[in-house]
Parts: sequence; structure tokens; C-alpha cells
Amino acid sequence: MEISPLIIFLAAIFTSNILLTNFLGMCSYLSVSRQIESSFGLGLAVFFVLTLTTAINYVVYHYLLIPFDLVYLRYIIFIVVIAAFVQLTEMVIERISPVLYYTLGIFLPLITVNCAILGVSLFMVIRDYNFLQSVLFGAGSGLGWLLAILALAGIRERIRYKFVPVGLQGAGMSLIVTGIMALAFIGFSGIVVIQ
Amino acid sequence: MVAIVTTVAVLSGLTGFLALLLILAESVVANYGECTIEINKKKKLEVIGGSSLLSLLDEHGIYLASACGGRGSCGYCKCTVLDGGGPVLPTEKPFLSIEEQEADVRLACQIKVKNDIFIKIPEEIFNIQQYKATVQKIIDLTYDIKELHLKLFEPPEINFKAGQYVQLQTPAYEKSRQPVSRAYSISSSPEHNDHIELIIRRVPDGICTTYVFDYLREGDSIEFTGPFGDFYIRETEADMIFVAGGSGKAPIKAMVELLHSQNSRRRMAYLFGARTKKDLYYTELFDEFQKKMQNFTFVPILSNPEEDSEWKGKTGFIPAYLNDYIKDPEKTEAYLCGSPGMIAAVEKKLLELNIPKDKIYYDSFA
Amino acid sequence: MKLTPREKQIQARMQPGAITINGFLGDDERHFHEIISDDRRTLERLGITAQELADKMKYLTDRAFDNYDETMIVEEIYEVSYNTVRGRLICPFMHPGSYRKGEVVVKNLKNNLTVKWTPLSVHMIEVHGFFEGKGSKNRIEPEILYRVLFGN
Repeated sequence: MEISPLIIFLAAIFTSNILLTNFLGMCSYLSVSRQIESSFGLGLAVFFVLTLTTAINYVVYHYLLIPFDLVYLRYIIFIVVIAAFVQLTEMVIERISPVLYYTLGIFLPLITVNCAILGVSLFMVIRDYNFLQSVLFGAGSGLGWLLAILALAGIRERIRYKFVPVGLQGAGMSLIVTGIMALAFIGFSGIVVIQ
Repeated sequence: MVAIVTTVAVLSGLTGFLALLLILAESVVANYGECTIEINKKKKLEVIGGSSLLSLLDEHGIYLASACGGRGSCGYCKCTVLDGGGPVLPTEKPFLSIEEQEADVRLACQIKVKNDIFIKIPEEIFNIQQYKATVQKIIDLTYDIKELHLKLFEPPEINFKAGQYVQLQTPAYEKSRQPVSRAYSISSSPEHNDHIELIIRRVPDGICTTYVFDYLREGDSIEFTGPFGDFYIRETEADMIFVAGGSGKAPIKAMVELLHSQNSRRRMAYLFGARTKKDLYYTELFDEFQKKMQNFTFVPILSNPEEDSEWKGKTGFIPAYLNDYIKDPEKTEAYLCGSPGMIAAVEKKLLELNIPKDKIYYDSFA
Repeated sequence: MKLTPREKQIQARMQPGAITINGFLGDDERHFHEIISDDRRTLERLGITAQELADKMKYLTDRAFDNYDETMIVEEIYEVSYNTVRGRLICPFMHPGSYRKGEVVVKNLKNNLTVKWTPLSVHMIEVHGFFEGKGSKNRIEPEILYRVLFGN
């Protein structure tokens, strides 16, 4: 593919946002976006995991699975790599910032099953990116996810003391807000071709 | 065939490799190595980092008070961390006032020791130990109060002041899934340091008292930590007024027993408040003290004596009688033990009678 | 119904033996959320809020406390007695804070109904709207509480 890695990076953040355009990675997004500080912490953790797992998965895919003709194993292998990596991230966060570790709580290990992470690795395979494109795609998607969760956290803090019908409180209103944000992002679709 | 072998080999190989990587990472990242805990600028403990401050101190024989076993629910394990404790965690903040946070007070159960740490704890804590004892005797004092005699065996002796309490530990049993600890004042004199006596009143639905009343038998072993508390006799020649109700009699009994064996000549009065005649206990014991000690007066007061109980003693409430036993307010100390409501009412009256506020000592139930 | 880990922990703390011997749920099979919402419907039907009930409960508890833990008559309608014991209990809803142990018994002398509560139950009603599960020894029926506190 001849697309410039830099374009892929920028597109992954804005025009092909993994969360608002592709709607991947919703669960922890909806739960953690209650508070801006923890959203920022989780977003950074997801960015870190996404960038590095995409790189590692690229290497594993092209230098292990393809030569041995084991491409069909990619789902399992990618998840195993992601799980190991998230464990490592947990240990590092616990060491560096116990405050963040406690605030994130169960959502840190839940990054493993965040579909955005697996999704980005699979997109990298489907779209046949080279190494640089893959890394920047991972980094851009991570930043895009961070952007989306910060946006929702900001909006939720604003509407916290406003009237919301009882049936829509919590997840209901968050999904509506996310949908409206996604509608805005649909405007970007097709502007930049990255696949 | 080859395909199956390759698949399995690659999958296990990769997973194994990642697992190895994680183990390596854990020994580097999560390994905090040896750390030093320096206490009160004099005592140093060499520990392996990675556990909570509370548990590391516990392992080295220094017992900070804890009612929830280190789970961050009770807020008892406060200590001052001069350096090395890291930032205050969200789990600690609800228990610490602004002044405490500014004074570097932290919850020991929430601090993970990752490097050298310097702390300050009250000196009395060095005296607190974990004790194992055998139940020598269980005596029924009233319909809902029992006296426990515990003979210490490991360690065999305890040093405490009359008026202090211990935290008795009940193990997990049929009705309670985890050990709990509850505070009981020691009712025996500190001169006997190979055993202690406790007075325990049954609490409906209480985890510890149900165990003691329904499950504990003579000969069983039981554990406790202690001694705790700053309720003790001040070594002066001042007159003393003791006020207690119900199971609040325990620390007072320890104090009076000690004063008796020291042949103290201080003027003392003990006002014991109860509702009905069947709530009284140790009446003969205190009548004995009254006979043997020159200046000790025992005053049981019933608030609700039944008509047919032939009660000839005083009736009503304690505050009304205090004045009768105070000769020289400036030279009188008051020792109160019981429910916060009783203590508040008695303290108010004592202050009205000009007892200095700093001479009123209490062990409040809550 | 899916429970978050926190809700599972709260449910565990309500079981017998965790904080009190008999727990807070009695033999009620419902989840504590359902217990709270069913009781809230009862309160709506009676036209009273949990806060109003709790305020009255706190008022009577304070009056009894000031009176030295003995039985007393308040406002000529309520016969209140308060029996404290040593120690404090934590709330099963997993937030910091501990509450005195002890039992307050209130009898409405006009309609002869009696109700019992503890400082912890006052807190649980005020802040969590929780009256304990059916079959629990310490469950306070909202209707009876209402009639004792405000009824004739």
C-alpha cells in the first residue's frame, strides 16, 4: 500500500477514529468516562498498549505465522500477545503511579478484551500495512480513542447536574451522546483514504 | 500431521515465551528489593518490599490497631509517614481529615512499601503484642454477662495498665465466615501478668459475643492483641470518682483491685448505674472492697428497680448523686466508662461541680 | 441481572456473618437493588420520603441519647429507649465511616405500634433507602415506621 504513514496516523485519530467511526472499544469507554482524570489515564494506557501490540503483532504475523503457514491462528495469537502486554502494562502502572492503578481498578486488565485493540491488529492484517504504517496506525488509533473518551468525559461532567430522564440516565445518555459525536465524524468519511 | 505439530509448537512456544517474559518483568518491575522501615528515628526493620506497611509491621511484631484486617474499611491503622510513603491514595482520603493529611498521617494498610520509609508511631505500640491464651474459666455473672479467665501461654506474660483493653479475636465459625476482633477491657489487676479476665456482655446479633456465649468452652484456646488504650490510673494523691454502667465495670474493677493491693489511701467512690436488680453483679466483691479499704465507697444506683425486688439502695440516675461524693473538686479525678450518652451526661454534671476538665478521663464505648 | 464487582462485594457484606451475625437480607432472595426499589414504591404510596423518616429517627435517637440511655417520653407521644453497646459497625455499602452499635426502641403511645432501629439502619435508610430484606430480624417495614413516627 502506498499511503503515507503520516497520513494514516492523522486519519486514524480524526477521520477514521476507531471508536467514533468504527465503533470499536465501547465498553470501558462507557464505564470509565465518568471522570476526566481516570479517562485520561485509561486513554494513555490504551494508547500505549495499542501502539506496541500492533508492532509486536506485525512482527509475529509476518515472521512467524506466514512463514509457518499458520495464518488461521492469528485470532488466538493476537489475543495472547495482547493479554501478556496488558499484564506488563499493569505492573508498570502499579509501580509508577499507584494512584492511577487504584483509580482504574478492574478496567486496566479489561483493556485485554477491548475490541479496539484486536480490531486494530486485524485491520493492519486486512489492509496489508507495512511495519511503519502499522505502528503509526496503532498509535493514531490509540490517540483517537483517547480523544473520544476525553470528549465523552467532558460532556458527561457538564451534564451531570442537568436533567436527564430516569430511563436514560447513565449508559443511555452516554450512548446517545456518542451517537451524536459519531454523526459528526461521519462527515469525515471518505475524505482520506487509508485502506 | 506436520501441520498439527507445527501449530501446537508455535502456539505453545509463543505463549511460553510470553509467560517467561512476564515472569522476568515481574521480578524486575514488581521487585522492590530490600527496604528499611525506620520507626521513631530509632528502630530499623529490614523487610522485603511489596507488601503493605501494616502487614510488614505486623510480621515484625509491631501491631497497629486494625478492626478490618487491612482491607481499608475501618481507618484505625493511622500512622505518621515522614518520608517514603508516596502520594496519598484515593482509598485513604475518606478517613483522613485535612489536618491529618497535612500532618502526613496515612493509613498503614494502604501504603505499599516500595522503598525506604520513615514513620512515627506512639511509643505504647511497641508494647502491643499478639497473645495466645487458654480459656480457664467461664463464669455467668448475670443473665447476659459472662466473665472469662484467660491463661496466657504464648507469650506467657503481659504488661498492662489497669484500665486498658485488648482486641479479642474470634475465628471463623459456623455463623461467621471470617475472623473478627472486638475490644474488651481487662477486668483483672495488672499484678497478675500470667492471666487476664474479661467481662463480656451479650450483644444480640453480635458476631464475637455469640461466639463467646454459644461456642467457646473451657479449655479452648483463643487469641488477642493488646494492651490498648489510654484509660488508666493517674499516679497522684487526688480523690477519685469512678462511674460505670453495665459491662463498663470491667476496667474499674481492674483499677480498684490494683489500688486495694497497693493499700492506697486515696479517697474513692464508685457509682455503678444499672436498670434493675438483675443487672447488678460483683456486688459482694465491691462490698468487700468497701470493708477492706479505708476510703472506698461503693454506690450502686438503680434507675428502674422492680417493685417486688426489695431494693433499699439508691434509685434514679448517677449525676444526681455525684455531689455527695466530691469533697474537694480541684483535687478530684473522675474515671468514666460506659456508653457515650452516659459519659456525656456525667461529664456535664462534673463540670458543673467544678471538676477540672482535664481531670476527667474516659473510656467511651463508641 | 449483571452485577458489577462492587455490587457483588456489597451483597457479600450483607450476608450473615460478614458484618453482623444475621446479616441484612434475612431469607429474602431478591437482590438489594430490588429490595430498595420495592420499598421506595411503598414510600411513594405513603407520600413520604426516606429523608423525612430518617430525620425523625435521628431526632428521637438524639433525644434518647441525651437522656442517658433510659426510657423517656418525647412530645407525649413517643416512648423511646436506647441501649448502647461498645464498638462500631461499618456500612455494607462499602464507603468509609462507622456507626455506633445499639438499639433504639420507639413506641407510639397513640396507636401502640413499636419499631426498633440502630444508628446504622438510620444511615442506611437515609443515604441508601435500604430497609433490609424481608425475614431479616432488623428489617424495618416502611409502613410501620411511618405509622409509628407520623401516625395517630
